[in-house]
Amino acid sequence: MEALSQNYIVLAILAVLLPVAGFLRVLFIKNTSRAFFYAIAGISASFIISAYIFTAVWNNQTVHYQANWFTIGNTTISIGILINNLAALMMVLVTGISLLVHIYSLAYMKNDPLIHRYCGYLGLFCGCMLLLVIADNLLVLYMAWELVGFSSYLLIGFWFTKDAAAIAAKKAFIMNRIGDVGFLIGLFIIYTQFGTFDIQKLFGEQGLVGSAILHNGVWIAASGQLPAMWLTVAGIAFFMGAAAKSAQFPLHTWLPDAMEGPTSVSSLIHAATMVAAGVFLVARIFPLFNETVLLFIAITGVFTAFLAATIALTQNDIKRVLAFSTISQLGFMMLAMGTGSVAGGIFHLATHAFFKCLLFLAAGAIIHELGHVKEKENVDFDTQDIRLMGGLRKRMPVTFYTMVVASLALVGLPFTSGYLSKDAILIHSFEWAKSRGGLFKIIPYTALLVSWLTTFYISRLIFKVFFGEWRLQKKLNAIFSVHESPAEMKYPMIILAVFSLFFIFSYHPLLFEKSWILSGFDQAESLQRINAFHTIIPATVNLISLLIIYLCYRWYVKPGFAGVAQSNFFYRLSESQWYFDRIYDILIIKPVTQLWTAVYWFERRVVDGIVNLAGSFGIISSSVSAWVDKYLIDGIVNGVAVLAKRIGDFSRHFQTGRLQHYLVTMLFFVLTFFVLKYFTQLL
Amino acid sequence: MSLLSLIIFLPLLVGLVILILPASLQQKFKYITLVVTLIQLVISGFIYLKFDPSIAGIHQETQFQLVEKLSWIRLDLGTAGKLEIDYFLGIDGLSMPFLFLTSLIMAVAVLSSWEIKTNLKAFFALFLLLDAAIMGVFCALDFFLFYIFYELMLLPLYFLIGMWGGIRREYAAMKFFLYTLFGSVFMLLVIIGLYFSVVNPATGNHTFNMITMMDPANFVQGSIFSAAANLELFGISARLLAFIVLFIAFAIKVPIVPLHTWLPDAHVEAPTPISIILAGILLKIGGYGILRVCFSIFPDAASQSSWWIGLIGVVSIIYGALNALAQKDLKRLVAYSSVSHMGFVLLGIASGTVEGVSGAMLQMISHGFLSAMLFFLVGVLYQRVHDRDIYSFRGLATLMPAYSAFIMVAFFASLGLPGFSAFIAEAFTLIGAFSSESVNGWLPRWMAIGGSIGILLSAAYFLWTLQRMFFGQPRLKGGDNWLSQLSDVNLREKIALAPLALMALLLGILPSIAFDKMNTSVIEFVRFITS
Amino acid sequence: MIPLSHFLIISAVLFCIGLFAVLSKRNAIQILIGIEFMINAGVLNLVAFSRYDRINSGGQVFALFAIVLAAASVAVALAIILNVYKKSSTIDLSKVNQLSD
Repeated sequence: MEALSQNYIVLAILAVLLPVAGFLRVLFIKNTSRAFFYAIAGISASFIISAYIFTAVWNNQTVHYQANWFTIGNTTISIGILINNLAALMMVLVTGISLLVHIYSLAYMKNDPLIHRYCGYLGLFCGCMLLLVIADNLLVLYMAWELVGFSSYLLIGFWFTKDAAAIAAKKAFIMNRIGDVGFLIGLFIIYTQFGTFDIQKLFGEQGLVGSAILHNGVWIAASGQLPAMWLTVAGIAFFMGAAAKSAQFPLHTWLPDAMEGPTSVSSLIHAATMVAAGVFLVARIFPLFNETVLLFIAITGVFTAFLAATIALTQNDIKRVLAFSTISQLGFMMLAMGTGSVAGGIFHLATHAFFKCLLFLAAGAIIHELGHVKEKENVDFDTQDIRLMGGLRKRMPVTFYTMVVASLALVGLPFTSGYLSKDAILIHSFEWAKSRGGLFKIIPYTALLVSWLTTFYISRLIFKVFFGEWRLQKKLNAIFSVHESPAEMKYPMIILAVFSLFFIFSYHPLLFEKSWILSGFDQAESLQRINAFHTIIPATVNLISLLIIYLCYRWYVKPGFAGVAQSNFFYRLSESQWYFDRIYDILIIKPVTQLWTAVYWFERRVVDGIVNLAGSFGIISSSVSAWVDKYLIDGIVNGVAVLAKRIGDFSRHFQTGRLQHYLVTMLFFVLTFFVLKYFTQLL
Repeated sequence: MSLLSLIIFLPLLVGLVILILPASLQQKFKYITLVVTLIQLVISGFIYLKFDPSIAGIHQETQFQLVEKLSWIRLDLGTAGKLEIDYFLGIDGLSMPFLFLTSLIMAVAVLSSWEIKTNLKAFFALFLLLDAAIMGVFCALDFFLFYIFYELMLLPLYFLIGMWGGIRREYAAMKFFLYTLFGSVFMLLVIIGLYFSVVNPATGNHTFNMITMMDPANFVQGSIFSAAANLELFGISARLLAFIVLFIAFAIKVPIVPLHTWLPDAHVEAPTPISIILAGILLKIGGYGILRVCFSIFPDAASQSSWWIGLIGVVSIIYGALNALAQKDLKRLVAYSSVSHMGFVLLGIASGTVEGVSGAMLQMISHGFLSAMLFFLVGVLYQRVHDRDIYSFRGLATLMPAYSAFIMVAFFASLGLPGFSAFIAEAFTLIGAFSSESVNGWLPRWMAIGGSIGILLSAAYFLWTLQRMFFGQPRLKGGDNWLSQLSDVNLREKIALAPLALMALLLGILPSIAFDKMNTSVIEFVRFITS
Repeated sequence: MIPLSHFLIISAVLFCIGLFAVLSKRNAIQILIGIEFMINAGVLNLVAFSRYDRINSGGQVFALFAIVLAAASVAVALAIILNVYKKSSTIDLSKVNQLSD
């Protein structure tokens, strides 16, 4: 058993390193031709290893291995891997979806000259993401956390010659940094309180966090104590990190902009895996959160879900609709976490990863094919604008059917994976609210509303893209041909579509409780099962959803719908994404810009001013002393000389050279002398 | 002659040789200097490997390594006793890392001296003199010797900035010189005061030995700096005053806000190799001095003033970062980022915790490598087109891919991306600062949180620069003319940059290579200053 | 017996005449004559006071000395005057002022 465990450790490390090797290769070899071969080989191996570890670990054992990393002072920081159910599931999810996206990219990125970099960056991402998932140590987790942010930066800015992409990459990294600061503050608190970063020691059974107690407003742990406030601060701080990574309000605005990256990247990183890291983190350190923080998480989650869903209603960029949909779904997962249902949140994370990845890949296929049209016919139009699409159902049938499956999963209709996981969250939140009562009920009802909004925007998207006539042809008055995407893109989509169906996750299409994923996690809070909810809620949700789909069909496919008034306040609010970018610009960016301008002014005028003033004072005082030196001190010396000269000048007039003058003078003095002598004697 | 003397006097001797050699050989001088620095690098690498990490040093003379102690000046002053000045060298875990840092940075600085075209003889002679003085500062354990080396650094630096610098070089050189001199003149007063307060128990003479000064028992009863006497000068405790004076002297070098304004001017006007030395090593002498001198000799005053030092650290971090955000000149931006990053050092030292001090040490070493790299990179650009205005460039990533890759490494490493040394350093500095309130009550917790905002701001200015200068479609102020001049980094530049990047990466992935050698010393240091 | 005062008055008159000549005349010869007057006034005084030294006759001896010296100095002075004349072709002393600075 021990030896076997050793194998898993080596394998897990290999799984992390193989994709990163691709990144290292790119640093030194500029060859584009075999880049994909190595990348896919690496990720496939990684996937196989992950699957193998998964089968061994799931509901069976926990692989935990630690080695000393470094010692700072008396504290040894370890590095290690901790593969439990959660980590194993995430490993398979990440590598599996990654592999599919790699294959998809073969065709999608075929003509890009910098394809080797693309492969390298993807490899870096996969490696770091796997490290994040299996890290047994919060410090290592934080490192991987930032590194996935970094690879996301590289990939969003992959087409760096486009200004929008470069700006979006920067925005994403900085917004994530805001969250990272929170994460870091959480680390400070954990380290100060417990003196270790070890996840197992901290959050495991009988862990340090669990055994710490609150007493008289003091949070007491075995190795230290802090005021109780810091427990809440730690929870909020970690959640801040999670919120930034998972694009939760108010740190969500980077994700829509991140759509500037290649669509395959959006699907892998900004829909399926990396953005879910926030949810993963919350699950990993769940015991740390107290009631206040959990409520905070739940409210943030449900508000984000609502906010993003309302914005998605009116967006016309196909990727933006999906981006806001992602934010909204992440809000759902956070809601699940906040209501104490770690299992539900992770379940939704898993199902969502597949169907959202598929939605993006399908959108990518459309964009890709329209890109061909744009290139071949030499016409200029926005390939992502759904107002120029329509009628693609016949032209791209595989894309259409797979995308419909994914959409149904997103809506949560029966027989899809989404139905199971969404119900798990909704029903749990109703039970949770029921046990608390009062205003808490607002939360599940909002969630209910959000799921109908979801139905609406995704139906609008499907109907606008695939039904009716092709509006681009109409607009440009020409006939274009568009066809199905190549096999490399088609098959990953088909596989993902299969994974969006119920039977992957549960043998029972309608009962989420039978799902094997849920059984892999403990419910943090056991609530009383209220049977009524388990029938009424799914039934209501789905019936109304069907009605909404029909409504959309009537509006967007059948002729005669005038559309909503675009001057409507709510429409504008939604379309402009609740003015968040503008509000941040006014409330944060402008004041901060002014602050640094002011600080620099202060620096130049005041701080440096004082220095220069001191310098000027030195110069002035030295010129004063120079004056004194020149005119007073030297003046006295020169004065003596001048006086002597003056006397000389005066007396030289006696030196006429004429004998008589001398004699007269002599006579004068002799006489004077004589007279004086005579008279003084007389006196 | 032992290794430390060799590492100090080798450059000095070769500098003299260069002065003697005929000017017709002046194209060879840079190779001679390079060889000297490489020999130094080998020696310091050897010292690193041979260094025994289990001995602390700090305040015990017997625990220092590679000690050389020769009596140097013995002057009989009659009733005033005997003047006792030793040639006293030795290293412990606090100084040894800096020897290696200095050797490596010096080698890189020589490689970037290829751009110097005028008066090569003087340049390299002064360069080697500077090298010797810096090495001396890190090795000296006699305060008099320390002061001599400390002042000796100023002379070559003044000329190196003033003669080979940019347009406003004279202003910058003068400012730098006066600033540093301002600090060190008052330091001299304290040194003399200490001399008259401390007696070597072995000989009964007054002494300049720093290690002797650290033991309160060696102070003469009733002398001015005696802790027991607790005399007052100008209304405050004499020891506190001496601490403040010494702190200001070293803090000017670090530099701290508001005594930092020499730095942007000096860095911007200095030629690239000197910028590299200034940022890479000179600033660390400030931090090293605070550890070795201020905190070790006056631990009681240190604990009284740690709150203020921490505050200065936090202010430096945020103030430097905000200023960096406002810059248009790339070199000035890097200079202000130095102010910000060195603030972490101060914060870590002020925390008085093992994590904080270790973090501060690592931050100094890491910043040494990274700032050298950044200044080198700015120098590369400036050398090609004689412009470093951020707004003059756009889309450089397309034109100079390898250069951009190095810039990305340097920028991301500097902004604290995990995997690079700055991350570990900054994280542990802040952790130390945060836990300080629980451990010894020196710093309040909000300071650590304030400091972490600096991490956010550093991401903002580096990424903004990256996006503004390197991404987007290429568009240059100098048009097609520049297009031909902007060649990618050549082999020599790669050779200079690669070790720096590698060291930053190595320290980020295996911080133990630094921590293992200094842990014992740091623990002992923290125990000593907080007891 | 002629009283001493008569000699002294005559010698004083002689001296004054000589002095006047020296101070007022421009011609070098005339000045020389003035000087001779003054010397002789002195000589006269020496002889006159000699009555108080009858044994050694010191006054008369000095008078003889003075006369010899006067003759010598006249010779030297005349030689100088001749040279001055040769150099500047005048013996008007107001015009010969090259000794002034």
